[in-house]
Amino acid sequence: MLALLAAEEGNGYWLPHDINEVIWGTLAFAIVFGLLIWKAGPAIKTALAARPARIKEELDTAAAARSTAEKSFADVKAALADSDKEAARILEEARETASKVGADIVARAHTDAAAIKERGQVEIQSARRQAQADLTAEVSRLALGAAEKVIESNLSEATQQALVESYISQVGAAN
Amino acid sequence: MTDTHINSYAEAISAIAAAEGNTAAVENELFSFVRALQSSDELRATLSDPKLPLARRLQVVEDLLDGKASGTTASIVSLLVSNGRVGELEVIVDAALARSAESRGEAVAEVRSAVALTEDQLTRLAAALKAKTHRDVAVRNIVDPSVVGGIVTQIGDTLFDGSVRTRLTQLRDAF
Repeated sequence: MLALLAAEEGNGYWLPHDINEVIWGTLAFAIVFGLLIWKAGPAIKTALAARPARIKEELDTAAAARSTAEKSFADVKAALADSDKEAARILEEARETASKVGADIVARAHTDAAAIKERGQVEIQSARRQAQADLTAEVSRLALGAAEKVIESNLSEATQQALVESYISQVGAAN
Repeated sequence: MTDTHINSYAEAISAIAAAEGNTAAVENELFSFVRALQSSDELRATLSDPKLPLARRLQVVEDLLDGKASGTTASIVSLLVSNGRVGELEVIVDAALARSAESRGEAVAEVRSAVALTEDQLTRLAAALKAKTHRDVAVRNIVDPSVVGGIVTQIGDTLFDGSVRTRLTQLRDAF
């Protein structure tokens, strides 16, 4: 149509003066366009057809990642909650253990103190008895020493003779 | 000094005393001399001192026994001192006395007392000991102040202790 218009009157404002240029340009354009449609069309069509699938796949992947992340978040949250509980349990156990150990230590301290006290009393009693025995022995020793000195210095001749006679009599009588 | 030497000296002493006919007196004098020697460290040291001339030591013996012992006793003591047997004098004399007593069928009783026993007491004690041991007993009296009072008699390994010293010791041990 444009070619006919161009052939009947001057090309005017819209067409160049040389109509051949228009024809050849249009033809070249059509050829190039046709080649493009022929060669690039399937690829473009394929690309356009694959894009929604890819987008969908990416969306699915993103959704899965989000799901995984949410699950991980839930796990972490649960773990944190569990760790709080574990910490509380450990703390409670530690308190109980400390309380028990403290009670044991106090009980043992009481037992040890009682044993030490008893041992001390026994030792005191023993020392007292030993001191009494030592004192008795010392008094006896002194008394006997004094008695011996008195006896040794006061054995008269008559007493000596009496002791001798007594001995002879005892030896003779013990047959 | 061997037992052979001791027995030889003991046999010689017994033979000399028997030959002189005064065995009992010689035995008593030797016994008394030995006890005097036992009680005096100074006398023992003097008689056994090799630095002191033998003549001087024999003079000490003569001075000591002059008028108190028979010539036989003095000769026997001088012989032992001359031969350097002061250290063994007690053993030799005891062996001689035991030998003589045994030859007479007697046991030797060593009687320690705080005071000297009279002849009558010695006779009665010998009779009492004979009745007790069923053997004739030759009594040798030793005056020993450590006895304090009473008598201690030893016949061989048998001891008849009636001393005040032992009673005081027993009393002390009882405390």
